[in-house]
Amino acid sequence: MQAPMHYGRWLPPLLSEHGSQIDHLIDVLHVFMGVLFVGWGIFFLYCLTKYRQRPGHTARYEPVKGTVSKYAEIGVGAFEAFLLVGLSMPVWSAYKNDPPAPAERFEVRVVAEQFQWNFHYPGKDGKFGPTRADLISASNPVGLVETDPAASDDIVSVNEFHLPVGRDIYVRLTTKDVIHSFAIPTMRVKQDAIPGMEIPIWFKVKEDAKSEAIRERMTQVFPMRKANWYRLRHHIATQDYKDKDGQVLLARGQDLGATYEAGQELLEKLEKAGVTELSMQPRNPLEVICAQLCGNSHFKMKAQMVTHDDAGFAAWVEEKSKVIEFDDF
Amino acid sequence: MSKHDTHADHHHEELPFWRKYIFSVDHKVIGVQYTITALVFLMFGFALMMIMRWQLAYPGQPIPFIGKYLGDTIALDGILSGDGYNAFGAMHGTIMVFLAIVPLGVGGFGNYVLPLQIGAPDMAFPRLNMASYWIYLPGGIIMLASFFMPGGAANSGWTSYAPLSVIATTGQTMWLLGMVFLITSSLLGSVNFIVTAVQLRAKGLSFFRLPFFVWAQLVTSFLLLLAFPPLEAAAVLQLMDRVAGTSFFMPTGLVVSGVEQAHLSGGGSPLLWQHLFWFLAHPEVYVLILPALGIISEIIATNTRKPLWGYKSLVYSAIFLGFMSFIVWAHHMFMTGMGTTLSTFFQATTMIISVPSVIILTCLIISLYGASIRFTVPMLFALSFLPMFAIGGLTGLPLGLTASDIHLHDTYYVIGHFHYVVAPGTIFAVFAGIYHWFPKVTGRMMNSTLGRLHWFFSFIFINGVFMPMLFQGMAGILRRQYDQSEQLHGASAQGLSVMVSWSAWLLFVAQIPFIINFFWSIWKGQKVGANPWEATTLEWAAPSPPPHGNFDTVPVVYCGPYEYSVPGKKTDFCPQHVVA
Repeated sequence: MQAPMHYGRWLPPLLSEHGSQIDHLIDVLHVFMGVLFVGWGIFFLYCLTKYRQRPGHTARYEPVKGTVSKYAEIGVGAFEAFLLVGLSMPVWSAYKNDPPAPAERFEVRVVAEQFQWNFHYPGKDGKFGPTRADLISASNPVGLVETDPAASDDIVSVNEFHLPVGRDIYVRLTTKDVIHSFAIPTMRVKQDAIPGMEIPIWFKVKEDAKSEAIRERMTQVFPMRKANWYRLRHHIATQDYKDKDGQVLLARGQDLGATYEAGQELLEKLEKAGVTELSMQPRNPLEVICAQLCGNSHFKMKAQMVTHDDAGFAAWVEEKSKVIEFDDF
Repeated sequence: MSKHDTHADHHHEELPFWRKYIFSVDHKVIGVQYTITALVFLMFGFALMMIMRWQLAYPGQPIPFIGKYLGDTIALDGILSGDGYNAFGAMHGTIMVFLAIVPLGVGGFGNYVLPLQIGAPDMAFPRLNMASYWIYLPGGIIMLASFFMPGGAANSGWTSYAPLSVIATTGQTMWLLGMVFLITSSLLGSVNFIVTAVQLRAKGLSFFRLPFFVWAQLVTSFLLLLAFPPLEAAAVLQLMDRVAGTSFFMPTGLVVSGVEQAHLSGGGSPLLWQHLFWFLAHPEVYVLILPALGIISEIIATNTRKPLWGYKSLVYSAIFLGFMSFIVWAHHMFMTGMGTTLSTFFQATTMIISVPSVIILTCLIISLYGASIRFTVPMLFALSFLPMFAIGGLTGLPLGLTASDIHLHDTYYVIGHFHYVVAPGTIFAVFAGIYHWFPKVTGRMMNSTLGRLHWFFSFIFINGVFMPMLFQGMAGILRRQYDQSEQLHGASAQGLSVMVSWSAWLLFVAQIPFIINFFWSIWKGQKVGANPWEATTLEWAAPSPPPHGNFDTVPVVYCGPYEYSVPGKKTDFCPQHVVA
């Protein structure tokens, strides 16, 4: 089993190929910021104690002469120039200027709307069917022209983003209504979706980042005093938890409940039953979220991201192609 | 008419109450009006946030005490609604920026202190000055009234991005109208400040003898003058999109909730709004911070008992900062799909603008070296401003570089960053300024013990509010989230929100000593003379409080602004108006 990973109070787990450069830049920046702040802080505190007003001490009229501050400022400027030219620009230009070649990439159209993500796959023929705004309906969220031959095998998935690991994913991003922002924290991907524009964005999921494997790696043991519904609402138990009579309070694969009240009640019962810690893992370890305010349910706008190996992905495509698409309302 | 004006300037008969205190043309009364009004708005903006903080700490649970009074559109069954949250968020930002901080820094301190510091009897255009306050106030009232519109106040963020804002409820129309008033008010004010600072300086007060505060106000006024008109135009355009069926910001082919919006959209550009908005709103950041730096510089010079280190560097940096602030705006838009060329330009200018900021901060810190520091209440606020403003500045770096911005954009890191600049930054400077100039305005000192209590607890809790946000941002928690625990990564860092919220509520408690002190000192504070801090700049040459017309005798300036501890003098300060 691979090393555990989880979401916490610092950077989320990193599961994309390009993301390490971004994280590296963030790390370097924070070390730099820390050095500057501590350096300034020491001088600051030194001045506050050494030069406090007290009997017999007078201020010096003549400005302090010295070149330290000048060199410090030049140093800061030079380091910023290095950050800019040496670290930020190359990452950004590599990331934004070199799209994967059409033959090698895996394309998905992503169409945002209040408050869901629609994923439009070309299907086995590799060709997207045409779409029209006037055809958009609840059962046809992207307005696919279903009579067109290219559209016949297209797959439209709502709030579920399936994709293969280790391949260049090329997202063609747009939105039907207001501005949204396509964000995947674990991928270090963020791109606004602007109505009237189709914006490309690309990334590659790490070879070992299959959803199944990530879920296992995110298994965590929470002491009961730290267990709280808000913290664990998206988690499921990895084993059964029973009360003294052997009745199952929390079954393997089950979550704490849909509401805060239900969750806290269950946690209390568990505590009474003598459970001291809970082993849980996220139900869906990877999420696509919306990073731009898009209305009153903006916070709920998210899609599950499911990553497969090639065989798993082919199986998903097969399964989706078999059923005739009709969505329940 | 002009004859009458001149006459009025030199002969001050007793004015009726409403001319003296309400429709006054005296810059000092207007300054106090701005300060009091803006402090009320500051409190109101803070109150909105304190309610939002309940939802963030305890999502979906009824707000205690006040929840049931908020009305069904804002809080059904006492639980803040998504729309209510968004309206409060949008109004918190709008109120804090346009109704509280700018009016405090410019309308309040600028109005009161600037004419005094240049030895002028009043602003160059006193009636224009009165007009700008009386346009600001209705703008604020329109903003507040929007809470009572159907659907509540504007709820598309203080940035009001189209198309969301164009299809939003009526509150947005009120927001746009309110903005037109506020911008007009700022424009009138800025013209007045520029003319006053250039034309009404006392004899001998050359530009390089101006206190840094005046320089900061002058640069700020140019920013307001040049950056606000595009937003005023943009606000009118968005208003037309909403009420007159135009389509400046609405693209072709919009489908909202499954319904085609061809009747109200076509050919417009949502990005155009963002460019127009940020063309104002970035210089606006410097409008928020420059007056604060001006206040801090005055207080540091007075309480270190020595000249500011690198006065000319401070001035040149402020001017350069003002200039650069016009060409960094698109760094707010790195995630809109910007190409490499454009983003390279904007991240380069963003790095360049950090240089004058570093120089200003360095000058202020080096000013402490070799000083004789008095730890007065204003000085405590001024000193604690420095490291917190430094945090605000430093955390701008990862946001200003495009690559690191990919992860941090629109997260709480941004919220932490800019609040460190304007809340522990500007608001601490505002408090410093209030304690510093209170004796000038009222002729009485504020109580030092209450002031120290206010400072100490504010300093602790304001960091308790904003420091955890930087960590939440790192964890990827997004801003403008009604329920942070709705997302998996958010749920893991949502616990910090409890700490932030309690810090915010305790921060409110920490303001109680200030409120008591403020009112108590107006009537009961210790009486002081013209120059209680033994300061050098011209406002301390006028009586406390200064009469209409300010100075008993027209001051003449003989030296630079910060002649403290000059060797061979009897006192450790040489006022500007005294022959050296």
